[in-house]
Amino acid sequence: MIALTLLLLTAQNPAAPPAKLAASIARLFGPDARSDTLRVDSARVLRVSRGDSLLGFAQVGNVLGKDQPITFLVAIDVADRLKDVDILVYRESYGGEVAYEPWRKQFRGHVAGDSLRVGKEIRNISGATISVHAVTLAVRRMLADLTAWHRSGAIR
Amino acid sequence: MRKPLAWGLLCALSPCLSRSLLAQERTTVGGYGEVHYTNATGPNTPGIANLARFVVYLAHGFNDRLAFRSELEVENAKLEGGKAGGEVSLEQAYLDYRVADALTIRTGLVLAPIGIINETHEPPTFNGVGRPGFDHDVIPTTWREIGIGAVGTIPGGAGLAYRVYLVNGLKAEGFDAVEGIREGRQEGQNASFTNPSFTGRLEWARPGLKIGGSFWYGGSADTNTAVGTGTFAAPVTLLSADARFDLGALALRGVIANISIGDAEAVNTVFGQSIGSRIAGGYLEGAYDVLHLLAPASSQRLRAFARYERYDTQADVPTGVTRDPSLARRITTMGLTYKPTWNVAFKGDYQLVRNAAGVGEYDVLSLGVGYQF
Repeated sequence: MIALTLLLLTAQNPAAPPAKLAASIARLFGPDARSDTLRVDSARVLRVSRGDSLLGFAQVGNVLGKDQPITFLVAIDVADRLKDVDILVYRESYGGEVAYEPWRKQFRGHVAGDSLRVGKEIRNISGATISVHAVTLAVRRMLADLTAWHRSGAIR
Repeated sequence: MRKPLAWGLLCALSPCLSRSLLAQERTTVGGYGEVHYTNATGPNTPGIANLARFVVYLAHGFNDRLAFRSELEVENAKLEGGKAGGEVSLEQAYLDYRVADALTIRTGLVLAPIGIINETHEPPTFNGVGRPGFDHDVIPTTWREIGIGAVGTIPGGAGLAYRVYLVNGLKAEGFDAVEGIREGRQEGQNASFTNPSFTGRLEWARPGLKIGGSFWYGGSADTNTAVGTGTFAAPVTLLSADARFDLGALALRGVIANISIGDAEAVNTVFGQSIGSRIAGGYLEGAYDVLHLLAPASSQRLRAFARYERYDTQADVPTGVTRDPSLARRITTMGLTYKPTWNVAFKGDYQLVRNAAGVGEYDVLSLGVGYQF
């Protein structure tokens, strides 16, 4: 089931290799987590669960860095707290530090509406400024979307 | 932001459209530039306004793994036949083949991965209207040569990244006492590959912190047998270390470099120069965002900064050369950088240009604007 879900997802997102996406979900929610694809408007959201209990939601997106799309994942828990950000594919020539865990973990625990600004809540990395700004903005938007959909019942 | 020619950022943000995002080739245009006004003290030094750099960044993604990237630069606004000044040149032009996060094969005209400014030279990224003197006379920015290499992050999550290249060498015939190895760069123009050279960098990053170490090693004799024979004749060995701390309101950065030139005596004899056998120096800079105190909620920045540079292009001299103490330079720069947004900067600074001889010293007032997108 996971494999089929991931296959469908990756068909929609050729930017996210299925193995990377599966590894990301397993890392964030545990190896036995199950994911199902939900459709909201034109977006696809992964509903992650174990047995009967909902664990959270995740979404894959792309944001333009300096010249190439950065493929990333944002996951939230059932209380709409940001669980983690993952960089699934990084194609730029510089700025790959946004994939480093110490940078990504700055987002953990934040909720939609929290101030997430580069140089304030989110520290910059010299030489990676463009990617840092692009990913921070994209994460903020995706966190807001996921939260709004969850609260409205569009995903549950 | 950069505008992809084929579609916009909105599309890039929407996963549903990401099939088209990656299944098609895409071209991206960006750029940066800077305008300077400088006024030095002393007789016959009028204020000068100059469009120092106008650079167009052009990139093309052929597929998910293969991309071309380039920067085409116009320096000093224009160039006219028969008149001095002005330059049109390629700052970078290379192909990247991404094998994995740990390995991208890069080939073409590449930036030497040395110091801070050479690779990250967009004007909003540094304080001061002009680049530091150190980044002109010691590390000759923008230093680019033709070659092939590998770049990537070292797996394991330690935060380490590397770049290593095999490139064409420097040419000793361009070296001089004042600007060191600067005019020995070949910059991709019919570059002689007589002295293949190695350059590379290892860097470690954490949020708000980056530390790097860089090297260059290669001969510079070219085909001039009087300077030396063999691939590594008149070897140039550069070692450099740099650090950047970004502690919210406070930002600190520093670079040091040491360049040894082997066979410097032969270079001087053959080309009638008086180059040093060792070039060394560095700088330290501290900046504080005043708006962090005055308007904590603002995303704008007003950085007050001070930088102290100390370098000598004749730190050691070969037999036959008497050290010129005026080449032991000490430059103090104080100024402000106002950034209404992260990629635009209005700058002003005042420099005290000094040297160990106390000869030809002057002050400079500079104003400038810089942008990148």
